[in-house]
Amino acid sequence: MELSQVNWEVIIPIVAPIILIQLILLAIAIIDLVRIEKVNGPKWVWILVILFVNIVGPILYFVIGRRND
Amino acid sequence: MKQWMTLLNKELLEMTRNFKWIWVPIVFILIAVMEPITAYYMPQIIDSLGDLPDGAVIELPVPSAEEVLVASLSQYNTLGLLVIILSSMGIIAGERKSGVAGLILVKPVSYTAFVTAKWAGAMLLLWISYFIGYFVSWYYVGILFDTIPFIDFIQSFFIYGLWLSFVLTITVFFNSFLKSPGAVGFLSFAAVIVLIVISGTFSKWFEWSPAQLLSYASTFIMSGPISSDVWAAIILSVSGIIMLLGGSIAIFRRKELA
Repeated sequence: MELSQVNWEVIIPIVAPIILIQLILLAIAIIDLVRIEKVNGPKWVWILVILFVNIVGPILYFVIGRRND
Repeated sequence: MKQWMTLLNKELLEMTRNFKWIWVPIVFILIAVMEPITAYYMPQIIDSLGDLPDGAVIELPVPSAEEVLVASLSQYNTLGLLVIILSSMGIIAGERKSGVAGLILVKPVSYTAFVTAKWAGAMLLLWISYFIGYFVSWYYVGILFDTIPFIDFIQSFFIYGLWLSFVLTITVFFNSFLKSPGAVGFLSFAAVIVLIVISGTFSKWFEWSPAQLLSYASTFIMSGPISSDVWAAIILSVSGIIMLLGGSIAIFRRKELA
């Protein structure tokens, strides 16, 4: 099946909300990373992790990246 | 009681500050919703990925709505448990490490109130996230497959939620005497896996095990015959939660800040 054959009009309303909340998760992680003073490890690594590791990246950041003290 | 509410409020505030109220519900939604969507689009996914020779036909049986909802629950049994343990492994251990627990317990705060307020806060987060996630999954199954009666959904929701609460209480228990959040997470996960594996392989002898609640929740969705062992498992989970909580209070009181 070619991409053009995919019936996007049916797919988008179903998948769009999922992509949206995934983006919210990603955005919150990034905003917090920019505003926070100190993280576990270098900040630029966390940016890469959050941006490129799907779903798990932001979770890892919230669990391990943010310092608890 | 007033003191307990203050501690609970502090707990809820802290969970807002470190974004738990945002990421835990979102992750619970994502975990559960992936299942109906991938099940629904599986034929297209295979079509667009595989270089099948001409004429090859793969007949995939279309899963029933009930099967898909059960599959969502099984996702919770792996990824969901991981998220619960990850999000709660530091609730006491982390505070003890950073000294916050010391600051609080220097004041006339009862250990019981301290531990139970933490547990209640984590439970609130768990049940709200789990409800949102499971509800969205149910809604998607309704759109993409077939409507499942709401009563089946609610019954399976409460039965399986009991197992999730049990796992959370195990984490709180390990929190009461370990200092490092990592060790808490590791031990809780090990304990939960051992529970699941043992009661899965010897399911005949462990019909009352809390880990069996997943299969009982599935029978409610599938509207299969409900065995009387459901009640044994429910009663054992509730008493297990109470005992673990009592145990963690007792240990925490003895260990204090050591």
